[in-house]
Amino acid sequence: MAPARTPLSLYVHWPYCSFLCRFCAFSKARVPASGVDHALVTRALLAELRTSLAPHSKDKELRSIYFGGGTPSLAQPAHVAQIIEQASRLVPLAANAEITLESNPTSAETNKMAAFKAAGITRYSIGIQTLDDGVLQRMGRLHSGAEALAAANRAASLFPGHVSLDMMFGFESQTVDQWQRELETVLAHANGHLSLYQLTVEPGTPLFRDIRAQRVKRNPDDTLALMYETAVALCRSRGLAHYEVSNYAASPESQSAHNIGYWQGRQWIGIGPSAHSRFIDPASGTCLRTVCIPDIQRWVRSCLEHGHGTAKTETVDDAEARQEAVVFGLRMLDGLSNSRFMRTGCVSSGALSLAEYLRVDQVQRYVRDGYLRSSGSLDHLAPTERGLQVIDSILLDILP
Amino acid sequence: MEWKGSGNNDLEAAVSMGIEKFILSPFVNFVPQPFASYIVQAHGFASTIAKTVMDTLCMNNYTGGFIDTNYMVPLPASKDTVFMYPSPQIAKGMLKACRLFQKQKGLQKRRKRPGRKTPASRMRRAWKHPLVGCALPCSQRYKTRQSMATACGYLRKASMKSGGYATKADGLGAEIDITGYTPDRIRNFSIIAHIDHGKSTLADRLLETTGVITKSGKNKQVLDKLKVERERGITVKAQSASMFCEHDGRKYLVNLIDTPGHVDFSYEVSRSLAACQGTILLVDAAQGIQAQTVANFYLAFGEGLAVIPMLNKVDLPTAEPDRAALQIESAFEIDAANIVHLSAKTGLGIDRVLPSVIERIPAPSGSIDAPFKALLFDTWYDKYVGVVCLMAIKDGAVRRGDRVVSMHSGTRYEVMEVGIMHPEQRPATQLQVGQVGYVVCNMKSVAEAHVGDTFHKDKFPVVPLPGFAPAKSMVFAGVFPLDAGEFDKLNESIQKLTLNDSSVAVHKETSAALGQGWRLGFLGTLHMDVFRQRLEEEYDASVLVTAPTVPYRVQYKDGTSKYIQTPADFPTAIEIQDKVDAVMEPFVLATLIFPEQYLGAMLELCTMHRGDIHTHTYLDESRVMLKCRMPTAEMVTDFYDQLKSRSQGFASFDYEDNGYNESDLVKMEVLLNGEAVDALAAVMHRDNVATVGRTMAKRLKDVIRRQLFDIIIQTAANGKVVARETVKQLRKNVTAKCYGGDISRKMKLLNKQKEGKKRMKKIGRVELPQEAFLSVMTGSKE
Repeated sequence: MAPARTPLSLYVHWPYCSFLCRFCAFSKARVPASGVDHALVTRALLAELRTSLAPHSKDKELRSIYFGGGTPSLAQPAHVAQIIEQASRLVPLAANAEITLESNPTSAETNKMAAFKAAGITRYSIGIQTLDDGVLQRMGRLHSGAEALAAANRAASLFPGHVSLDMMFGFESQTVDQWQRELETVLAHANGHLSLYQLTVEPGTPLFRDIRAQRVKRNPDDTLALMYETAVALCRSRGLAHYEVSNYAASPESQSAHNIGYWQGRQWIGIGPSAHSRFIDPASGTCLRTVCIPDIQRWVRSCLEHGHGTAKTETVDDAEARQEAVVFGLRMLDGLSNSRFMRTGCVSSGALSLAEYLRVDQVQRYVRDGYLRSSGSLDHLAPTERGLQVIDSILLDILP
Repeated sequence: MEWKGSGNNDLEAAVSMGIEKFILSPFVNFVPQPFASYIVQAHGFASTIAKTVMDTLCMNNYTGGFIDTNYMVPLPASKDTVFMYPSPQIAKGMLKACRLFQKQKGLQKRRKRPGRKTPASRMRRAWKHPLVGCALPCSQRYKTRQSMATACGYLRKASMKSGGYATKADGLGAEIDITGYTPDRIRNFSIIAHIDHGKSTLADRLLETTGVITKSGKNKQVLDKLKVERERGITVKAQSASMFCEHDGRKYLVNLIDTPGHVDFSYEVSRSLAACQGTILLVDAAQGIQAQTVANFYLAFGEGLAVIPMLNKVDLPTAEPDRAALQIESAFEIDAANIVHLSAKTGLGIDRVLPSVIERIPAPSGSIDAPFKALLFDTWYDKYVGVVCLMAIKDGAVRRGDRVVSMHSGTRYEVMEVGIMHPEQRPATQLQVGQVGYVVCNMKSVAEAHVGDTFHKDKFPVVPLPGFAPAKSMVFAGVFPLDAGEFDKLNESIQKLTLNDSSVAVHKETSAALGQGWRLGFLGTLHMDVFRQRLEEEYDASVLVTAPTVPYRVQYKDGTSKYIQTPADFPTAIEIQDKVDAVMEPFVLATLIFPEQYLGAMLELCTMHRGDIHTHTYLDESRVMLKCRMPTAEMVTDFYDQLKSRSQGFASFDYEDNGYNESDLVKMEVLLNGEAVDALAAVMHRDNVATVGRTMAKRLKDVIRRQLFDIIIQTAANGKVVARETVKQLRKNVTAKCYGGDISRKMKLLNKQKEGKKRMKKIGRVELPQEAFLSVMTGSKE
């Protein structure tokens, strides 16, 4: 029998958007007036895909592919199919591999949904964000709440049990009651998975500038905390289990396998402008983190000339790898097992157990105070609901 | 001797790449052999390393140092000589230099080849800035100093032979002969003035006109050597300079002793005055008499010095010289008819300054035939030669090789070098009666040099001169390293800094909240500020300074008394009841001078600070002088800032000690979740407790960040809570989105937060940011 192949994820960044949201800090660009040269972008993506996946063809297996952006639902289904096909030719695709596509709920994109399914997409993620048409407009989103719900319904019929709806809370002037009502509506249309994000004001976004200039008010921290708590309680009552800070799923099968990969420290290859990768270089055995050129034109040029658009490559040392394992592992309510920690992707020096790595006195204090759960002598460590809510503070104390 | 690691190779590589700065890790491994002598010789880039080596040696209780020179450095041959060189050529040059030196000393036959360039001239070209250092274990200090002195001597001789290649600025000229300047040809004077009235600028001009420094337009406060002095435009440390000038066809040696202008340093002023026979009272013609003018005048008057009033800045459009002259007459009752008008900035009237000094200030008294007797009036620490003493010679003469004795300690010293400040140290063959100059005499620490001490020649005792009372600390503050790991480094920096500033009182202190640190006593708040700034700038230290306190005095019923330098020592309420007779607080007598329209505001300010108005007098029709007695504690908080803001900067202020008074004092504590924070405690008058307690609790609430539990802030005095604030528990702190591309950003943020957390001080589980300590320090009354 051939040795088991190591799981690998693939992230494909499609950089264009038909509109730019005021809160978005991702790398993106508005579709140019002359339209997107789909063939050119696809050619560049394919070139980069070939270069970056080829070294992994021998010992890896693709567990998930994720089309993010940008707005990948603006891409042509045929090109998506080409990328999936090329990827699976380079690295074998696992039998039950999850292939997700992010989309905006405009009617034009909803009409392409079936074609995406035919192209090989198995999971569909819709960025609803809010049902409040006023807020949608203020945030620069060109669709309505009704369109969003229609898209959700269409997706539910095409991808039963594998639809994710993205929502945000904490918009200016939003009250806890409004949020609760909105969430109830969305829950009625949900089919398997919800992502509920607190609106985060990232530096460099138009929203950040609005807040700094006091054109837009921020919700008080305690209100945001209450909205978060409301979401957790409401989802639970509707049978959607909270499994990560902002993610809820009806069953383990509905969880996002691709994203869990990030939190569990799986290796991934990212292609497209500004995409990150993190993998063990098969040639040297060291763990690398790479970042692609963020500018679309320069990235395309680089891909076509050199076969890749990597701008920066860094080695991830053992200390970083361990820290990442804890920081990301504890974002999930399932937490982090010692055995997984000891196998942490990149660690080259001798294995270290959680008990050896973490500040055990602090861990024990948080366990005692009901913020963390642990079994045995740190065979497994996980946050409680209460702990997850303040995990960033806890991490500062328990990390060495 | 060998280098561990690959220092030399790294060095060569660095040099070949043209890197100018190079951090030397191999020197961590540098272990000097005890009882061996090292001479480190290096050039250019390598000199940086040589310096590092020397510093390492000096830090490890080896003494020694460097001589910077523009000439190659001949040294006595030593089997332990370490040559540090960036290239083989330089090494060759080094050897040649040594051979040349041997030739000069007649140790080797000289082979003269006429017409050929001498190695010396080649060396001069090749080595622009060679650098020499030499270090020895402490046990051989005496010898070291001698060899250092010898080396210095060689250098000077070498530079003389090099045709004055060494510049004057290096202080490496030959020993000058000033024996011809008998007391009648000597004048010793100082300049006293309010801060900013142009004292240092006048000094610059005088040095220029007498050719001590060249006129370049760049001479700005030449005597203010510290960076902080130049930055803040103040003089902290008294400096002196000697000038030669001609008057009525006779040559004179005039010694200027510069004095600090700020009120905190009046102690330095009085020391400097003791070395003079007269003083120039410099008054800004635009601003008129200010508080320090008055204070300084009475200091000089008390010493019986001749006072020559002069008006500065007469060229300013706002100058009112006649009015200023009138003020001088009415305030000091001295004749201001022939007052000298000058502008130190433009040089107007400068030519009249020295003639007035020579005519109106008496010559120093004393006799050349009497046994040597000198007053030590200032000292500083020089890394290379040890303590340098500034002395005013009262009788007799002193020269290199003399044995002198301190009357204070009875310790004998051998004089290694004497000279004048010109404006840098310039060696002289002999210092004699009436002259003011420096003496280097093998003193290893400033503690040995008691300012005010009398020195005499061994076996020729004299009647001691009246000394000075040691500087008294007016304010105390705790100083702690921000990072507890930097304690040792900070310890060293404080030691080095106090070597040159003996007015800082140093005690170790341990705080439950801040860990190990020091309690330092300062002459005033500016002094404290300057010290902190020097620590940060010159020694790159990051420190936390707690709120200043004044030395309270507790008198016990059993007759004993104790000075309280830190709130932690303050007796508890029960102790006060049972054992304490009285709690006393220090007072000052403050002098304020300001235009009359601010009278109301100034009276209010004084009353607000528990001041007791003594008198207010009109200096002229529009300027008022107010005398007020107030607790020192009120003065050290925000009095000065308020004075300036309430008078729009027009009021000036000076103070002197004015004894102790019984006072109703209590200790206010700050409690975080019930736990007292010692570093935030403060002693204050009972009347202030309520307001200060409330503002402090509010400020702390603003700076303490929310944590996973409620934080209760209380301020309390005598066990009674004055104010209470709560910092609510943190409900949510989690990054909403964290996927592949967010990882590096998230980790960077996390590590930054971890760093920030490290700098927090922990009180129980409560994390206290540094701002908490700063917020309590600044202004307690609003």
